[in-house]
Amino acid sequence: MRLGATLPSTTTKVNMDIEPGSSIPRKRVNSTSTADAEERQAKRLRVTGESNSKERSNATKQQKGPEITKGILTRAAHPPIQTSRSVYTYERLNQIEEGSYGVVFRAKDKQTGDIVALKRLKLDEEKYGFPITALREIHSLMQCRHENVVRIREVVVGDTLTQVFIVMDFIEHDLKTLLSLMPNPFLQSEIKTLTLQLLRAVAHCHSHWILHRDLKTSNLLMNNRGIIKVADFGLARRFGDPVEILLGVETYSTPIDIWSVGCIFGELILHEPVFQAKNELEMIGMIFRLLGPPTVEEWPEYESLPLVKTLNMPAPHAPTLRQKFSYLTSSGLNLMASLLAYDPERRISAEEALKHLYFQESPLPKHPDLFPSFPSLAAGEKRRKPFASPSAPERAKAKEEYDYV
Amino acid sequence: MEINLTPLATLSQIKETPSRRDGIPADLEDDLRAYGAKMIQQAGILLKQKQVAMATAQVLFQRFWYTSSMEKYGIAEIGMGALYLASKLEECPLRMRDVINVYDLLIQQAKHLKSHDISTFHYEPMSYFSQTFYDMKDALIVAEMQLLKRLGFYVDVSLPYGTLVNYLRVLNLLDDGKACQMAWGYLNDALQTPVYAIYPIPVIVCASIFLVIRHLQLPLPSERESELRWWELFDASYDDVWLVCGLIMRLYRPRSQADQLRPSQLLTKKDVRRWLHDHK
Repeated sequence: MRLGATLPSTTTKVNMDIEPGSSIPRKRVNSTSTADAEERQAKRLRVTGESNSKERSNATKQQKGPEITKGILTRAAHPPIQTSRSVYTYERLNQIEEGSYGVVFRAKDKQTGDIVALKRLKLDEEKYGFPITALREIHSLMQCRHENVVRIREVVVGDTLTQVFIVMDFIEHDLKTLLSLMPNPFLQSEIKTLTLQLLRAVAHCHSHWILHRDLKTSNLLMNNRGIIKVADFGLARRFGDPVEILLGVETYSTPIDIWSVGCIFGELILHEPVFQAKNELEMIGMIFRLLGPPTVEEWPEYESLPLVKTLNMPAPHAPTLRQKFSYLTSSGLNLMASLLAYDPERRISAEEALKHLYFQESPLPKHPDLFPSFPSLAAGEKRRKPFASPSAPERAKAKEEYDYV
Repeated sequence: MEINLTPLATLSQIKETPSRRDGIPADLEDDLRAYGAKMIQQAGILLKQKQVAMATAQVLFQRFWYTSSMEKYGIAEIGMGALYLASKLEECPLRMRDVINVYDLLIQQAKHLKSHDISTFHYEPMSYFSQTFYDMKDALIVAEMQLLKRLGFYVDVSLPYGTLVNYLRVLNLLDDGKACQMAWGYLNDALQTPVYAIYPIPVIVCASIFLVIRHLQLPLPSERESELRWWELFDASYDDVWLVCGLIMRLYRPRSQADQLRPSQLLTKKDVRRWLHDHK
């Protein structure tokens, strides 16, 4: 094969004056800085966390690089190719939880002192090499960097090939535990802030073509500054509640996450799951009770769904949302109904839901900084005992003795 | 919106690759990279795998040799691991047994070619429970894990095809079937070179178009300094584009029979170690 013009034989003459990752630190453009620490964190945001190499330390020194728009094509903007660090760069503090997929520890970075969450992946009985579910989780977390998605710092390894840990920012609470422990329910203004953050995270993931498929309060983390972070991507299979899956739809898309957002929104208001059922059939019954059995107008494809024929349909009735959420404004109810629309095609998108009237009416969403903070169970903190206060005067008991009239 | 950029080798990694540090000459490393990548493509075709998975596998394979030496890992096992891993990443997973059988075929073929002609090649399939299968299976699992570990689990790959279509449209070349086909081919051939691990996608795409317009003698603004030269439209610099062109064109240089045969006989780390020992 011959070219019109001759090319020089370029064997070793590599003239690249710019190092990947050397001048522009990876920088999150959309982080609406809520607190100083958060801002600093965003600036430090890089693919794989800290490292010893000189190339890396250069990047940390130069905090402000040129805007990415021009730099995107230069090698400098790209992170370097790096091997995984050892898990021993972290000091284990305490165990946070043990799920079906692995154990989560709280740990401290020995160099920087940062507190992180280490999630050990269960790899012992893998027949098919590295599990695709874990690959999906790591990949999604790296793709979906967002203020409301838990930040993956790096993946570290232990001594053997089966020891793999995902390193994430440590976040004080998960919403499920918090809801069960907090003394007073969230206020409307707080619910709005949390729901908005959740919707932003979901919109961001969907714009990156990623479905979470398992949104629930136990997968939502919340820090003590009123910021929630979506966690646990892709590990769990569709386990779910979305009505179209219960009825046997085989292909599904972004609306399944929106249904989950609706359920979480409801749970924040009620302080308990909207649909609590032991099995799928009972779950379908509860959904039909709350939203009224689906009609063909609401959901044209409904009658052709695989599992519908196996159901005993209740008599048609109107939704009972108003009774269930008696203190919600009508726009709040409208949002709820749009998130829990039967027809996935007509269900509101995260992007649209963000602009919903509910978030613009009084009470307005509370600024995250104004959120109350709570003791973190995951960090081993306990609620302080109430102050010992003197008991009521004895005299009050003896009230009968006196006649005040 | 945060932009996700794929990792690229650092200057020091390019100047001295781990294989080079272990005494493997640069031209041998290039040959082994090309041969290993070609094996991935061949295996993928035999398995009727999607091109995206084969391309992703080759990019991971090329990146791997910037953190790891060919003296410690064989190109056949790492190629096999890369294809298996990339198929998972692209959501079109392969059966382990299929990957192993296909690689077994390719390895047998390479051995046969050392002293015989391809026409006399006869493949001996392994039995279902043969020890070879279990050995290769272990090697495959380890290779996949090593790829992940030695790439820091950062296995995000961006492929050039979408960008190519965009650029061709901007340059009004989309109706020229021959040019499109050729540029596409150069991009695929470039997978056998390290360019995807050292340059961003736009530079590589510009290089493929650059080669095409030279080859087909298509006129595009590129000569006079005063004019905007077409690659500048895509933020690529002339030096970078020229260098990528050179690396791609090197693949087609005339080679002696012995030169061509050399990488096919160095598929495992043991082969490479023996070669290093013999050539001290």
